[in-house]
Amino acid sequence: MLDKALVQEVLNQALTTGGDFAEVFVEDTQTTAIGMIGGIVEESNSGRDYGIGIRIFKGHNSVYAYTNDSSKENLLKVASTAAAALKGTKGDLVINLTKVDILNNHPIAKIPNTVSKNQKVEIMKRAYSVAKNYSSEISQVVVRYLDVDQKILIANTEGLFVEDRRIRTRLPIEAIASKGTEKQSGFYGPGAHKGFEFFDGIDVDYYATEAARIATTMINAELCPSGKMPVIIDNEFGGVIFHEACGHGLEATSVAKKTSVFADKVGEQVASELVTAIDDGTIPNAWGSSNIDDEGMKTQKNILIEDGILKGYMIDKLNARRMGMEPTGSGRRQNYKFAPTSRMTNTYIAGGKSTPEEIIANTEYGLFAKYMGGGSVNPATGEFNFAVNEGYLVKNGKIDRPVRSATLIGRGIDVLKKIDMVGNNLGLGQGMCGSLSGAIPTNVGQPMIRVSEITVGGRKGE
Amino acid sequence: MNIRDFKEKLFSLGTENGFTDMEVYFNASNNFNVKIFKGEVDNYTVADESGLAFRGLYKGKMGYAFTEKVDETSLGILIEEAKGNAMIIEDEDEVEIFAGSEKYNDFEGYSKALDEFTPEKKIQFAKDLEKEAFALDSRVVAVNYCMMASGEGERIIINNKGLEKSAKDNLAYCYLSVVVKEGENIKTGAKFVASTNITDFHAKKIAEKAVKEAVSMLGAETVKSKNYPVIFRNDAANTMLETFSSIFSAENVQKDLSLLKGKLGKNIASEKITIIDDPLMENGFASTPFDAEGVATYKKEIVSQGKLNTFLHNLKTAKKDGTESTGNAYKASFKGSVGIAPSNMYISPGEKTYDQLVENVEEGIIITDLQGLHSGTNAVSGDFSLAAQGYLVQNGKIIRPVDQITIAGNFYELLNEIEDIADDLEFGLPSRGNFGSPSLRVKGIAVSG
Repeated sequence: MLDKALVQEVLNQALTTGGDFAEVFVEDTQTTAIGMIGGIVEESNSGRDYGIGIRIFKGHNSVYAYTNDSSKENLLKVASTAAAALKGTKGDLVINLTKVDILNNHPIAKIPNTVSKNQKVEIMKRAYSVAKNYSSEISQVVVRYLDVDQKILIANTEGLFVEDRRIRTRLPIEAIASKGTEKQSGFYGPGAHKGFEFFDGIDVDYYATEAARIATTMINAELCPSGKMPVIIDNEFGGVIFHEACGHGLEATSVAKKTSVFADKVGEQVASELVTAIDDGTIPNAWGSSNIDDEGMKTQKNILIEDGILKGYMIDKLNARRMGMEPTGSGRRQNYKFAPTSRMTNTYIAGGKSTPEEIIANTEYGLFAKYMGGGSVNPATGEFNFAVNEGYLVKNGKIDRPVRSATLIGRGIDVLKKIDMVGNNLGLGQGMCGSLSGAIPTNVGQPMIRVSEITVGGRKGE
Repeated sequence: MNIRDFKEKLFSLGTENGFTDMEVYFNASNNFNVKIFKGEVDNYTVADESGLAFRGLYKGKMGYAFTEKVDETSLGILIEEAKGNAMIIEDEDEVEIFAGSEKYNDFEGYSKALDEFTPEKKIQFAKDLEKEAFALDSRVVAVNYCMMASGEGERIIINNKGLEKSAKDNLAYCYLSVVVKEGENIKTGAKFVASTNITDFHAKKIAEKAVKEAVSMLGAETVKSKNYPVIFRNDAANTMLETFSSIFSAENVQKDLSLLKGKLGKNIASEKITIIDDPLMENGFASTPFDAEGVATYKKEIVSQGKLNTFLHNLKTAKKDGTESTGNAYKASFKGSVGIAPSNMYISPGEKTYDQLVENVEEGIIITDLQGLHSGTNAVSGDFSLAAQGYLVQNGKIIRPVDQITIAGNFYELLNEIEDIADDLEFGLPSRGNFGSPSLRVKGIAVSG
């Protein structure tokens, strides 16, 4: 993607003002996005993102610069501009770039741009018709198709010179149900670190049906009552609660600055002993996986919490320096326009012993959150909020009736301690996570869990 | 490569490949960003970026493609991709490449004065911002975000129908977020300022707002669940407007994704409500003399005293409705397809002060911050259920801070239940447009604690 000799020259230039580490990140990415509304292709756009990011460290400080122009003249200029932000004199760092070939853990069978756009549209039409025909209450279906083929090169003054390619495919389906002036929507968005072969391995009908089923269930649901109650959260995308409420607080970005409630708590009990939480960037072909992170380090399986005890954090290179700890292969970024920082990959709560049936049967009264929507958190206070996209009241150990417009709020550290049942049905769900270094693909996951008490905000009142 | 030379080559290749109408949209920008942590430059980013999008009519369908590598190697890819994309479009709505409006308003979005705000001054400003925050109150235990940034950019639209428009603009912005602690009680407060006017960057004033906000929340507790009269403070109100602004898009109306369908000319809000879209607003984050299709922009009342006057249109939706484009064609970046978005959209201020609004509340809640807007709201149904914080008001006085509550309701209903509007119009963090609102008093909202 860029000549090794040129990269070496750029790295040298970056260190002229006393930087003690420099890195070059080159990206050439092709994307395709197709949008279908009402079964008709309305939008199709594709293109090429291309750019180079140069990062320099001096102690705990970092400088980042990026450009779209890869000419030698410009790259040296950008490296100089970045270096000028640091005031110092050149050290005696010797750079010896050695190309490393990495083992590919995420084989791709069908490269997206070798597949015709018509084939992509066919899949979308199938999803559309299954969702639309699910019920007469389904008034609209929006199907999107996305593929990304990202080629990267990472080189740094520690001698690293490595290239990788990440291909991801996703099919977001949104079904809208109408009744009078009311509208409710249901969503499912399967995705993987795969090419077009992704669709050979999944049942598109299932996801389309689920989106439609959620929308029709919710249009016929009552308003959710509010108050503090036990909440059962189903598997797969339910894991968004851990992702937001705790995962972000375990990222080195906030831990290093001690603005996280989890700072300085390694070895302490931070969760119920039923909870083991893991961030694993190595799961083959999973949505949030990659061979190497965006700093060129191999991704790892990192145990964050084991039996309720805090074991570690997700750490990038710069924050590793600040914390005096080792990086964990967690440096990620949306693209070359962002300096990498610590981020999640595939983050989940490990499976437990209870069956989903047992958990529901053991709950006298509460909310069953079958599908979660998105949420957000303030890492400093740990206060989170989530939308429940599909919810039910549980009464006397049985699922009673669907309820809508429920929001869960609380503090992450409280929720972790109040998890009192963990199911045996671990599943992962796909999402996009937005933070300091942009929007990146991440998997969230968990088995069904029960939290003894969460504040549920609903429209019905208590 | 020179953009005009590139365009020549691209259009001639396009013509050879069967494209009739063609357009390039070029964008170049320079960005600067500095973050401070404990008195030191923690992160410093400089960027120059550029990219080009092509769109063209192929057999009557619009094909799009983009590239950030503006050189010969991209010519063939652009044409091939745009053609492939045009070929799968099934939408029968007529689309056009625009020859240009008769008249454009003069608008200068570029402030020369801002050039005096050099990187050195910006770094110093950010350092001052952090220092002031710590100096203001001993309970400030951390500054978790202290950032100063600026950007300048140029957009050029050129097509083979005769349109050639360009615009330059620049802006500076800063963001400060502080953490305060008292006992085991931790709260955060933040302030964002975006402006082309250097005097708006007053470190002490900005730090005071962030710190005051955080400290005022210490000791917050929830409240009893019930229906309360609510004041949405200006910053909370503008995020609500932003979240639900898509209901005014003609595209959403035509696709049956907005409940405003069929409501043109009818009352949809309290008669105290006037909503304006002003693309020519001085110092506005989203100000521009022409939209993403090259159509001249103008100031308009979307809602006048409660009555819905117009939807926001681009050329395609206007044609479909037999009307004129309102100049609200929008691209999220140069790469995007043309959609619709407001420019600087705001609720007109009233005459009372914020304090007067508070004085009129017997028992109610002031909402100062809303969380989960991307997930707890449904722009299609208008429903919202959001985490919130603010203050409890009794007998016209603020009694104490409130947190760990949710508010739930419906935006369409909310518009009709606005009883009072303050004079404190303020704009928020810009996103898909720039949104402003004064503080609003609403009859009643379900609050859960």
